[in-house]
This record gives sequence, C-alpha cells and structure tokens, in this order.
Amino acid sequence: MLADAIRSETYRFTRNRMAVFWSILFVPVLFLAIGTAVQFFTKARMAEMAEALPPEMTAEGGPMALSGTLDLGQSLLAQAGDFANPIVMLFVLIGAAIIYAGDYRWETWRLTSARNTRINLVAGKVALVFGVVLVALATWLVFGLIGELIKAAIFERPLAFSFADERPGQFAGLIAVTVTRVMQFTMVGLLAAVMSRSLLAALFVPMVVAIGQFFLMQALPLLAWSAGDLQAHLLIPGLSHDSLKTLVQGGPDAAAAPDGLAWKAITGLTVWTIVPLVAALAWFSRQDLSKE
Amino acid sequence: MTFVIETRGLTKTYGSVRALDGLSLSIPRGGVYGVLGPNGAGKSTLFRILLGLIRPTAGEAVVMGGAVGDVAASRRMGSMIETPRFPPFMTARQVLGWLSAAHGLKADAARVSGWLERVGLAEAADRKVRGFSVGMLQRLGVAAALITEPELVILDEPTSGMDPPGIQEMRALIRSLAERDGITVILASHQLLEVQRVCDRVAILNRGRLVREGAVSELTSSGERLRLSVTPISKTLEVLAALSYASGSLDGDAVVATLSRPETPALLRALVEAGVDIDEARWVGADLEAVFMTETGSVQMPESIHAG
Ligand SMILES: Nc1ncnc2c1ncn2[C@@H]1O[C@H](COP(=O)(O)OP(=O)(O)O)[C@@H](O)[C@H]1O
Ligand SMILES: [Mg+2]
Repeated sequence: MLADAIRSETYRFTRNRMAVFWSILFVPVLFLAIGTAVQFFTKARMAEMAEALPPEMTAEGGPMALSGTLDLGQSLLAQAGDFANPIVMLFVLIGAAIIYAGDYRWETWRLTSARNTRINLVAGKVALVFGVVLVALATWLVFGLIGELIKAAIFERPLAFSFADERPGQFAGLIAVTVTRVMQFTMVGLLAAVMSRSLLAALFVPMVVAIGQFFLMQALPLLAWSAGDLQAHLLIPGLSHDSLKTLVQGGPDAAAAPDGLAWKAITGLTVWTIVPLVAALAWFSRQDLSKE
Repeated sequence: MTFVIETRGLTKTYGSVRALDGLSLSIPRGGVYGVLGPNGAGKSTLFRILLGLIRPTAGEAVVMGGAVGDVAASRRMGSMIETPRFPPFMTARQVLGWLSAAHGLKADAARVSGWLERVGLAEAADRKVRGFSVGMLQRLGVAAALITEPELVILDEPTSGMDPPGIQEMRALIRSLAERDGITVILASHQLLEVQRVCDRVAILNRGRLVREGAVSELTSSGERLRLSVTPISKTLEVLAALSYASGSLDGDAVVATLSRPETPALLRALVEAGVDIDEARWVGADLEAVFMTETGSVQMPESIHAG
C-alpha cells in the first residue's frame, strides 16, 4: 500500500537529523541571520545609506524602506515568491537525494522491496519529498516573517497586515508555482538516482542540468528566442517558473507578457516534472535490485 | 504436502556464468530446510529471485502460492540476503520500527523489544547501527526478517562472521523458530555440519544445479559405514581388500569399512579368522560431507569440518 511506503519513508527520514536540518532548517536560519546582520548594519549607517541610495528606494513602500508602516502581508507574498531560489532548491535537493538514493547507498532495497509494489515504493518517496518541500516552505515563510519582525523592531516601524482582495489568490498562486518548481528540480534527481543508483548523481545531475539551463536562459537573445517561445519553456523550466511568477504577481510586467505565456510556462514546468518521474518509474519497475 | 516455494527450470545467467541452471525445487511447509552448496553454487541467486530482486533468465518460481512479485504472497515471507545492511544513523530499535511501518504494522514497542531480545541484541537496542559488528548486523538482519511475523523466513548464511557462541545461539534460535513459532525456515549455508545439525531437509546445490534433495536422516543413513577399532590395522586392510562384498580405508587410528549391514557377521568372522583383534565395531551414519563428495566428486567444501 502507498500509505505504508509513505509512512516508512517518513519514519526513516525523520530519524536522519542531519538530513532534516540541512534540507529544511538551514537555509531559513541562514537567511534570517544574514538579513538581521544587514538590518543592523543599515541602521548603523542609516544616514549615509539614505544619501547614497535613490530616494524612491528608501521611501515608504519602497524596497529599501527605512521608515513607515511595515506590511507583513506584503512581506509574506514576497517571501512566498522567493521560495524557489537556487539556495533553497540546492538544500532541499540534499534531503530529496537522500530520500531517492538512500536505499541504493545503504543497500536496503532488499529489506523493503518485497513488501510493496515497485510503483508504490517510488511513489512513497515522491510523496515524502513533496511533504519535505511543504515543510521547508512553511519554515521559509515563518523565518521570513520573523526577519520582518526583527526589522520592524530595529527601525521602530509600526506593523500592519493587509491580506485582502487579490492577495490570497496571489499567495496561493505563488506557492503553487514555487513548490512545483522545487519538485520539478528534485524529479531530475529522482531519475538520476534510479538510473545511476548513486546519491552523488542524485545531487549533481540536477545541479548541472540547472546550471546548463541558466546559461541557456542568458543565451536566449543569441538564439533569437523570447520568453514567449514554447521551445524555450520546453528546455528551461526555470524560465517557466519566472514567467508564471510574473503573471501571478500582476502589475505592468504581467500586462506586457506575450500571448499564451501562461499555458506555455505551465507546459514547460509540467513536462519537466512528469517526464523524469515517469521515466524513473519505468526504469525502476524493471530494475535489478541486487547490485545496490 | 503443501509447498512454500516451488521452482521449475529456474535459470539465471550472468554473461557466460550460469549462476542457476534449470533448478527445480519444491520446499515443503514446516521445519528447517537447508540449501547447501559451496561458495558460488547459486544459493544467494536463488533467494534474490524468490524475493523479486532479480529476474530469472528462464523458468518460474512460486512463493507462498503466488508468482514472484505478487506482493500479497511475498509479504508473508521474511528474508535476510547475505550480510544485511541498514541506514547507519538508525538504532537497532528504529530499524525494526521502520520495517514495521514499511509492512503496514503499527509501531509495537513490545514486539520490537521481544525480537531484539530473542536475537541477543537487547543491550545494543538503542545503539546506532553504524558501529555494529558483522555478527550484530546478522542478528539484526534476522530480527528484521522476523519483525513482520512471516510464515516463511529465508536466511542466507545467517552465522557467517559470527563467533562460536553466537553461532550456537543462532542455531538454537533457528530451531526454535521452526519448533516453537511454527515458521518454515529456509537456510542457505556452505557449512555441512551446520546444515546437518539444524535442518530437517536439505537440497545440495553445485554450480547452479540440484545434485541431491531429501531428509537429512535419509541422506546420511544411506551412506553409513562400519567403524572398526582393530589391531593390527595393516592386516585388517589386507582382509578387506581381499573381500568382494566390502572395502576399507583408514580413518585416523580406525578402519572404516563400507559394506551392507547383513554382511557384518561374515566380515567380523573373516577378521577373527585372520587373527585380528577387534576392540570395537560400530555403525556410523555418513555425514553430509560424504554425501556431497559422492554426489559432486568434489572435495572442495571449505570450512565444512573445522568451522562447524
Ligand atoms: N551480479 C552478478 N554478476 C555476475 N556474476 C554473478 C552475480 N551474482 C552472482 N554471480 C555469480 O553467480 C554464481 C552464484 O553466485 P551466488 O548465488 O552468490 O552463490 P552462493 O550464494 O551459493 O555463494 C557465482 O559464480 C557468482 O560469481
Ligand atoms: Mg551467497
């Protein structure tokens, strides 16, 4: 049963304290520490900063606002939109790679594989990674809000929380887009883990692929492609993620988006999630598990 | 008779190596069944196929009434294949909790502690597997095979890497699994004496083929011989060599004669007439080593006598 596979994967992962720490807790703590340090530095140099930066940045409501009301609703949206950043993805991948490749590394397939179908064994891992991504997201959001509270305290700014009108929809949309992007990134790791039986491959293949895609994205003008071209989305899921985020966030950038950007981006992200998953399932269901 | 395992023409080739070569075997429910054979005979390959870890090149296997890969059937079986390994960050207790979860069982602290106790790991229960010796890993592997309360358990060389007291404990545990818990145990071993002492039935494998199968008592009684403590030995050997119905060989300071039981009085008379003093004449069962050697023409059974 799938439930058994999920329960046993969860049981094992939660007892791997290092994996839980690095994949879920480390990045939010790191960002909070760095962010707080920056706030203190800014506070100390506030006068010089206010002179050096263009006034629209430091004005109330601007990205580097040093005074005025701090809107936690706005902060929450920004934090959700930033979830699928390279650092978060890299560290979540550590946990995902351990989940996907652990049984090869520890030679434990022989203990579990006769107890469930091959499809359920992999599906249990994917479900757990999805759970890890959601917990990592929740941690990321909570630590982000803590950072904002610290900022408000340092600069003695009043707090507000506005989350009305289009904001809940935007929040849900941003979570859907960023969580899908992180899952998609780990799926490349799943395929690498199954095909190579190696934890290192599960870590490095997605990184190498993502770096390749990053350079490809920079090279789009050279290829005379734009964000509106379907082939660009079929090659670069990161572009799809960025495009969908822009559309969800609304504003002038969304209005200027090319026609059909949404479905092209959804196609790109879906293909890059589903194809590695299906390939991994197909490969695993006929795999010889004795040479772990 | 119902069978827990049935294979027909099971064959597995690795390149030019035939790990299993047309193996047909029916293993009955109940008792301890030994799969005996030298290293490389194909024992682990057979088990890997039964567990669905690898596919046979040809032939078929039925486990607990279901085809290999039938999850409902294979969940009724527990197993330990070669030296077991576990996630190094888990304690012995956690390993059993994890495998219970994989089997859909509720975490049951008493059941986990009970099995750790029976395999002799009670004291190491909360230590991380990372620091376990081979013997401790074997014990935990056996507990892991049994934690789901299977009807059939497959143990591949469960005493390898254990010290002599550990081997004794493991043998006693295996017997008690069959006798007290009513679990059918299939035991692979390359140690003849181990199989002879623990198993009720045995299949002897050599180069992937079945060379002999039967109850241990049957196999050993068919090769029984007459052991003679006599003086002088040289005279005895001469007499035996001259007889048509018997032959003899030297075994330590005794002579071992091969003949059929009804001929015993005639042989003893012939020896007395030749002036041989007989201190003792005793029928001894053949051990499996003798059976194995006659069946395979091989004398290569490492550790068979000394490690047993
Ligand atoms: N993965 C493999 N690749 C190639 N040859 C193998 C593999 N596994 C087993 N063999 C070969 O198959 C034969 C049987 O091995 P095995 O079943 O492990 O024997 P046993 O368990 O009886 O010692 C040996 O000759 C071994 O070298
Ligand atoms: Mg073996």
